[in-house]
Amino acid sequence: MEEERKFDRHMLEILVCPLTHCQLAYDKEKQELISKAANLAYPIRDGVPIMLPDEARTVE
Amino acid sequence: MIENTHQDNTSFGYRTVTEQEKTGLVKEVFSSVSSKYDIMNDTMSFGIHRVWKDALVDWMAPKDKTSCLDLAGGTGDIAKRILKRNAGVDVHVVDLTPDMIFEGRNKIGLGSTNQPVSWIVGDGLQLPFKDNQFDYCTIGFGLRNFRNYTNALKEIYRVLKLGGRLLVLEFSNVPNESLRQLYDSYSFKVIPKLGGIIASDVDSYQYLVESIRKFPGQEELKELMAETGFENIRYRNLSFGVVAIHSGWKI
Repeated sequence: MEEERKFDRHMLEILVCPLTHCQLAYDKEKQELISKAANLAYPIRDGVPIMLPDEARTVE
Repeated sequence: MIENTHQDNTSFGYRTVTEQEKTGLVKEVFSSVSSKYDIMNDTMSFGIHRVWKDALVDWMAPKDKTSCLDLAGGTGDIAKRILKRNAGVDVHVVDLTPDMIFEGRNKIGLGSTNQPVSWIVGDGLQLPFKDNQFDYCTIGFGLRNFRNYTNALKEIYRVLKLGGRLLVLEFSNVPNESLRQLYDSYSFKVIPKLGGIIASDVDSYQYLVESIRKFPGQEELKELMAETGFENIRYRNLSFGVVAIHSGWKI
C-alpha cells in the first residue's frame, strides 16, 4: 500500500470541472487536471484527483 | 477560487456558523478522526453501524452494469458492501476529506474484492460530474455534515440519470419518549467521553451528537427530498429510529 498510485485515465471519461462542467485535460508531468474554461489546474495527489476549486492552481 | 458572495448561515452542531465556515470545520473533524473512524463507529454503536450499512445496500439491491456515486463515502464502508453484493457496479467514491479517501482506498485494497473503485476528493455541493451520470447515489452518514441539505440534494438530483435512485442513511428521530431519553443520555454523556478516550478528540464527537439532533427527522427529510424533485420517496426506520434510510427516485 506504500507505493505511489497512478491516476486512472478512465476517470477522465466521467470527471468534469466542478465549476464549469467542462472537460478536463490530463497533465501527466505535473499530475494535474486542467480546466481551460475555469483557468484552473486541479492537483492529483497519490492518484486521487482533488476536485476542489479552493485547492486548485490558477493557470493562464 | 470561487467566493461565496452571500454568507448564508448553517449549523455546526449547536453553533451557528456561515456555510463557508462549516465546510472547513467539518473537514477538520474528519481529518482529525480519520484513522480512528472505524474503531469509534464500532465502539459507539456496539457494532450496529455495520448492520445499518448492510440494510442500506440490501434495500438498494444494486443491479449489474450500473454506476453508483457514493457520496461522503470516505472510508469505503458502503462501497465495499455494494461490490460484495454485486461486483458489476461501477463505484465512484467522493469525499471532501483527502484523509478519509486515503483510509478507504487502503482498506478496500486490502479486502477481498479486486474491483476498482474511483476515489475522488470533491465537494458534494459542487460535484465534478456532468448531468445524468449515475444509476444510484448512496450517502451513509454524510448528508448531516453538508452545509446546505437542499443544495446537496439538488446537486445529487442533477448527476443522477433519469430513473436513478438516491439512498440516504442518516441519524434520525426516536419517536418513543422513554427510548429517546435513554438514547439522549447515552449520546451526550458517553459518546464525547469515548471520543476523548479512543480518538483523543472530545470536540469532534461533541459535534457528532449535536449535529445528529440538528438534522431533519424522517418526515422533514422526506419533504426536503420531495421539494428537490425526488419521487416515490419512502423511508425505513432502523433501531427504533436512531437511524433511517430514505429512498427516492429521479423520474
